[in-house]
Amino acid sequence: MNENKNILIIDDEVQIRRLLEISLSTYEFNTFFAANGKDGLIAAATHSPSLIILDLGLPDIDGLQLLLKFREWFTRPIIVLSVRNSEEDIIKALDNGANDYLTKPFRSGELIARIRAAIRMNEKGKDTPLMEFGSINIDMINHVVRKNGEIVKLTSTEFSLLSLLAKNSGRVLTHQFILKEIWGYGYVEQTQYLRVFIAQLRKKIEDNPANPLLLITESGIGYRFGS
Amino acid sequence: MKGTGRVYGLPLKTRFYQYLLVIVIIGLTTLACSPLSNSQSYHIVSFILLFVVAMLAVFMGIGPVLLASTTSAIAWNYFFIPPFHTFHIEKTEDRLMFISFFIIALLNGILTNRIRRQERLVRDRENQTNALFQLTGELSKARGINKVVEVAGNDFKKHFDAHSWFIIQDGNNRLDFSPFFRNENEAPAIDKTIVEQVFNSSTKAGRFTGSFQEAALTYYPLTGTRLNPGVIAFRIERSVYENRDAFWNTYFTQISNALEREFLGELAIKARILDESDKLYNTLFNLISHEFRIPIATIMGASDTLLISQTSEKNREELYNEIFKASARLNHLIENLLNMSRLESGKISLRSDWCDVNDLVNKASKNLKQELEKYNLVTVIPEDMPLVKLDFGLMEHVLYNLLLNSCQHSPATTTIRVEAAYNNGSFILKVSDSGPGFPPQVLSDVFNKFFRVDGSKAGGLGLGLSIVRGLVEAHNGTVTVENEPNGGAGFTVTIPSEIPDMEELKLTE
Repeated sequence: MNENKNILIIDDEVQIRRLLEISLSTYEFNTFFAANGKDGLIAAATHSPSLIILDLGLPDIDGLQLLLKFREWFTRPIIVLSVRNSEEDIIKALDNGANDYLTKPFRSGELIARIRAAIRMNEKGKDTPLMEFGSINIDMINHVVRKNGEIVKLTSTEFSLLSLLAKNSGRVLTHQFILKEIWGYGYVEQTQYLRVFIAQLRKKIEDNPANPLLLITESGIGYRFGS
Repeated sequence: MKGTGRVYGLPLKTRFYQYLLVIVIIGLTTLACSPLSNSQSYHIVSFILLFVVAMLAVFMGIGPVLLASTTSAIAWNYFFIPPFHTFHIEKTEDRLMFISFFIIALLNGILTNRIRRQERLVRDRENQTNALFQLTGELSKARGINKVVEVAGNDFKKHFDAHSWFIIQDGNNRLDFSPFFRNENEAPAIDKTIVEQVFNSSTKAGRFTGSFQEAALTYYPLTGTRLNPGVIAFRIERSVYENRDAFWNTYFTQISNALEREFLGELAIKARILDESDKLYNTLFNLISHEFRIPIATIMGASDTLLISQTSEKNREELYNEIFKASARLNHLIENLLNMSRLESGKISLRSDWCDVNDLVNKASKNLKQELEKYNLVTVIPEDMPLVKLDFGLMEHVLYNLLLNSCQHSPATTTIRVEAAYNNGSFILKVSDSGPGFPPQVLSDVFNKFFRVDGSKAGGLGLGLSIVRGLVEAHNGTVTVENEPNGGAGFTVTIPSEIPDMEELKLTE
């Protein structure tokens, strides 16, 4: 069995576990389960899964705390799957080290796509010098972006923003994280900068800026770069 | 707290000065009359002294008047009736004169004093009538139990110069002592046992009454015709309190009536609220049982068919689709109910941030992709539309609900318009459709909870638009509805918003 297809599911709802087992096996993922946080930690240590799907409402420990515990040593992707849908919870989970967040009820297709994106990104590593997203090519070494082979003129801030998002493609980056990375700690509240630069970037790289396919808005949380 | 009896009596100290004053005045009069100290004019002196005694009787109590009569008679005899400077009277006519002087002075004094007392009683009664009259007037204007207590307390203080405490029941015939024992220092000497007894027996007790004489306060029951509002406690001078039973009864009855009126009013309001929430509860449950059963029936029926029968591949696919649609509908119902209850309990907190309106419209319409595919969606956003400050997630929900409403009420292939603008410090968002619009008489009810246009095909709980209003109002904004010239419905959301200063931004390039 391919090790990259091992997925640990930590959820106390039997019905959800059954559903995930069936859905994921269709896509040839190998699943194993834990019904609480303690078992989850042990299972992760013994099976070394390539990805964890984590519910926040566990009987023994709050999922947000469990995330922090995992992140002390577990470097592979963790996707949170929870009924909690407040922006505060989602941001907290992402801040605590979740790679992605999906709220229940969810569409299986969406979950599979997120799992694949997270695993792919993890395998690829962050230091690929050349990246390709649809018609967009990003050359990280020479700071050159091409669309359909033609060079797109970007300011240095626009390029930093695009490369930050591209390096984390498939992953939700919170507003605060992006602002901190690009502008520095003093600017984490200046979301208007981010809005303006995202709008400018969309005009330059999206086929239809009014219906973006690469620079996706995650309402009230941040942005996701996807193809 | 203690009354000084300014109106109804004079303290002893003042009385002592009255006696002293009587002696001084009689002395001075005698001194002033000394030039008349001869055997011819001593009768004139008697008239002067009688006059002075009469005058004193107007201002002083009965004791000083008796003293004035006596001292003046003695002074007249001693200084003016020959032989002078003796108490001896020589002539028989003078003796008669002296006796009649004494009697006249005494009677004069007593009668004048009695007239004065009568007059004072009348004035007292007038005061009491005034007190009652004022109290009635003020109480009739007071609304709410607390206000009535405040008005009555102030009136009591004004007329009797003494503090009063109202121990009011909680509506279930249990006295509420909590207002008096919150602060140890301010807690008066209210005796709970006496208060309870007065409340339960509806008879007065405490100071100056038949029972619990030694208590620090006097307690009167506040009794009404249908319920007893509570007990009043006060501490006033004996002279102010005593012999006015009829007055006190009337006075406290006024207060009781006002309190009872407020109690009954509050009970009526509570009953009405209960009645309304009962109605709401019923509506909600009728709707839920209906709206939830349809998608559940679909899911159960479809999955059952899939399990047991051998249907064609095409049918199977359709059944799967139906299951998916029904669950999406259930999810939407639950979302709406949760949002409504969050809005009503005030649990929604705004996370206002700069928003790109293009992004907002794009996100909301993407979430409704399937529904909107059947329509011609036209989006009008000015090129120079500034960023606006609002809660992106909540506004996305507002726009989603408005668009969904348009989809549900317009025929397929017609146009749905979304227009955004920034005007006079406000973000304006307009959603209009080409459906049948609303009957003019229901336009004002459109945003009400559970409102649905009669005969409308669209299902749902009738919560979507009231959630829109709740979310917009959480942004201090307004939402209005009108019928468009083409007959469709048009919703306009107006939210006050600042726009960012972009000058600073250029520096960061």
